[in-house]
Amino acid sequence: MACILEAQGVCKYFGGLKAVEKVDMKIEEGSIFGIIGPNGAGKTTFFNICSGMYRPTAGKILFQGKDITGLPPESIARLGIARTFQNIQLFRYMTVLENVKIGFHIRTRSGFWNALAHDRRYRQEECFIEDEARAVIEKVGLSSYADTLASNLPYGLQRKVEIARALALKPRMLLLDEPVAGMNPLETRELSEFIIRLNAEGYTIVVIEHDMKFVMNTCHHILVLNFGQKICEGNPAEVRRNKAVNEAYFGKGLVVGGVA
Amino acid sequence: MTLPPRLAVLLQKKAIRISLAILGIALLAAIPQLNLKSYYMGVLCRILLYTILAGSLNVINGYSGQFNIGHAGFFGIGAYTSAILSLQLKMPFLLALPVSGLLAMCVGLIVALPTLRLKGIYLAIVTLGASEIIRLIALNWMSLTGGPNGLRGIPAPVLFGLKFSRSQQYYYIFLVLSLIFYFMTRRIIQSRIGRAWISIREDETAARSLGVETMRFKAMNFMYGAFWAGIAGGAFSPYFKFISSDMFSLDEGFNILSMVIIGGQGTLAGPIVGAVIVNFLTEFLRPISQYRLVVYAILIIVMMWLRPQGLVGVSKSVLAERKFGRGRRTHRR
Amino acid sequence: MDYYLSQAINGICQGSIYALMAIGYSVVVGVVGLVTFTHGEVIMLGAFAAFYTFQLVGNNLIIGVIASFLASAFIGVFVFKICYERFFNAPRHISLICTIGTSMLLRNLAQIIFGPNNKPLLEVVPNRFFGKGVVGLTLVQIIVIATVISLSFLLFLFFNRTRWGIMLRAVSQDKTAAAMMGINVRMTSLLGNSIGCGLGGVAGMLLAIYYQTLVATMGGSAGMKAFSSAVLGGLTNIPSAAAGGLCLGIVENLGITISSASFRDIFAFIFLLLVLIVKPEGFARKTGVRP
Repeated sequence: MACILEAQGVCKYFGGLKAVEKVDMKIEEGSIFGIIGPNGAGKTTFFNICSGMYRPTAGKILFQGKDITGLPPESIARLGIARTFQNIQLFRYMTVLENVKIGFHIRTRSGFWNALAHDRRYRQEECFIEDEARAVIEKVGLSSYADTLASNLPYGLQRKVEIARALALKPRMLLLDEPVAGMNPLETRELSEFIIRLNAEGYTIVVIEHDMKFVMNTCHHILVLNFGQKICEGNPAEVRRNKAVNEAYFGKGLVVGGVA
Repeated sequence: MTLPPRLAVLLQKKAIRISLAILGIALLAAIPQLNLKSYYMGVLCRILLYTILAGSLNVINGYSGQFNIGHAGFFGIGAYTSAILSLQLKMPFLLALPVSGLLAMCVGLIVALPTLRLKGIYLAIVTLGASEIIRLIALNWMSLTGGPNGLRGIPAPVLFGLKFSRSQQYYYIFLVLSLIFYFMTRRIIQSRIGRAWISIREDETAARSLGVETMRFKAMNFMYGAFWAGIAGGAFSPYFKFISSDMFSLDEGFNILSMVIIGGQGTLAGPIVGAVIVNFLTEFLRPISQYRLVVYAILIIVMMWLRPQGLVGVSKSVLAERKFGRGRRTHRR
Repeated sequence: MDYYLSQAINGICQGSIYALMAIGYSVVVGVVGLVTFTHGEVIMLGAFAAFYTFQLVGNNLIIGVIASFLASAFIGVFVFKICYERFFNAPRHISLICTIGTSMLLRNLAQIIFGPNNKPLLEVVPNRFFGKGVVGLTLVQIIVIATVISLSFLLFLFFNRTRWGIMLRAVSQDKTAAAMMGINVRMTSLLGNSIGCGLGGVAGMLLAIYYQTLVATMGGSAGMKAFSSAVLGGLTNIPSAAAGGLCLGIVENLGITISSASFRDIFAFIFLLLVLIVKPEGFARKTGVRP
């Protein structure tokens, strides 16, 4: 399988703080990739580098073989990487439908003069956006909330709206930052199944998460970060057994009853 | 503002809306036929002029969330351009007007460019400085702008054989321009461009991660607002027949800003309401005209305390927030 | 050559006034954590306070400094109550527009109360010159520079050697952490704002003494110069703000040698644009709250 995203020696320093230190990573196209690690390990910083929010202090990011290091977020979105945020950055005062419509921005091209004249391209694209946005909302199962204000939705549904909005870009790869944070076990399992279904349609999905059960059940391949460095990479079974990973989460002492 | 349900349903029908619009325009067009005193016609002309000025400032401040407080500068550029073109080059009004708009638009781009990447406060100061620089240049460039004496005797436009020299006639020019502005802006706001602008206003980070080219759209937005301020200026100088640099001071910029803040940001009605209210207040306060700006200042402060989006401004927006929004905030930025 | 040298000296002298204005501005923005538009008017009111003080008690500079400091500090409290206190947890643009309104209010009230015309403030400091030919310092220039240096030194002592100073620095770095250490963030912000405004007031007095005139509308250009100088320090770093002020003074004065005195403000603006284009975050390391 081809490698869709590759990180080569990525470092990010904020003054004296080494947030990410020489991380190498290869993500295979069509896989579900998990990034885990204790709080402050550098996971979201790494995401921000991949999605263009931060410029790495050193190292390269290659997307489908092309060097995307240092490109701004707008360009990276156009190349086919969509992301969601740890803090949920929905447009709070827009409805679910309006939120998702913004996601169609890069798939349409009508400009100033089209808008002024209400010409054919304008009308066609407006219909396209309306229909397709509703389709995406239907796909994540939020049709009944299409005209609800985003901030009025419960937390778990807001996360789904963010994913719907990201899907609107028709990306090659989805970066999901803590998608199941704050969800109960039932919602977590639903989202896990949803992500597996999306993956079956061809999306490569990268997930940052803390919920071990979710990660172990959903991901094909896992990268573990601690203090900004890679301490392990492999499939769920390998990661579970790995000594360094256990030490990172549970410390170096003995644990009663063995490892979880 | 919520309307009673029957009224709201009625207004949904396109036919009703178009009929009301035509009726409204017809009424507006009929006003000069009432043969009011030219003083009142002058007030009405001023209100129409300011719907364009406040409206164009609202496009910048209210729709894309940028921060322009030097709008008087673009107004001045438009005014001086059309005056100089018609006085020195004898250019006809219909040609001088778009040139005024285009020149203001170009200056707008130059002003906005350095600060597109930076936080709003920097753009605000740069617009303030630019407005003052424009005024200073107008004040000092004797050969072009007449310096402190200004420019006199700007010829009235002659269109279709009619000379528009009285406010009763010029009213139609302002009416046509403000209608064009309104409908043009409405179309742009409702389109993909308007959505991009609003997404930038609401959450620029999210917008960028969705592929919205924020720099390009912010620049486009600023240029659009500057263009229309230039048009307003270009229409103003043949109307007033005399212009000088002190008409385009910072105080004038604050005058326009007051209309947007008091009337409302982020809606098409807001600047219209603001233009009406502030211009009525101007007339009302004529006996104590030095207190005029004091009153506007107090109204601005009160509005920020009670209703930051303005009287009929957009409530479904970060502009209307009085406390940091709901949703997790891990730290202040 | 002598002419340029004397202009450079003028530049350093005016630059030190701008430095004081920028220092005051940085203190306010750093401690309160909100950017303001009112600093120009605060400077102007300090100038007027000094003016009327001189009329009442004669040309006593020490009393003038105290009067302008206190008057502006007092106005600072007023601005704080209107524009900052309510809005610590509100979106930034609200307090900003409030300060725009407040600056309009203060400027127009000043025009009504003090009249719109330039007021002469002649010979507060006797006209003495120390130097040779064109190159040298007037007594006014010496006093201006001396005042700015002493005030900066006092500020330095205050921030680094007193308990209140440490509290101010804590609040400017992280309000939440400071609150958790038991610091009354509201009172501390109020104090920081007043100190910053007070410094602005003294700068206003110095402007009036130096140019021998003052006018109710001087706040616009003064505020802009304070901001332009402070940008060099990222709006919160004090030494860089002072450096910015000096640079601005020199750039302005050298600039008007090649054009004319009426374009003075244009050079301030060009200076600002250059800083924003070349190094918009300023030269400060990331200390303190960023506006």
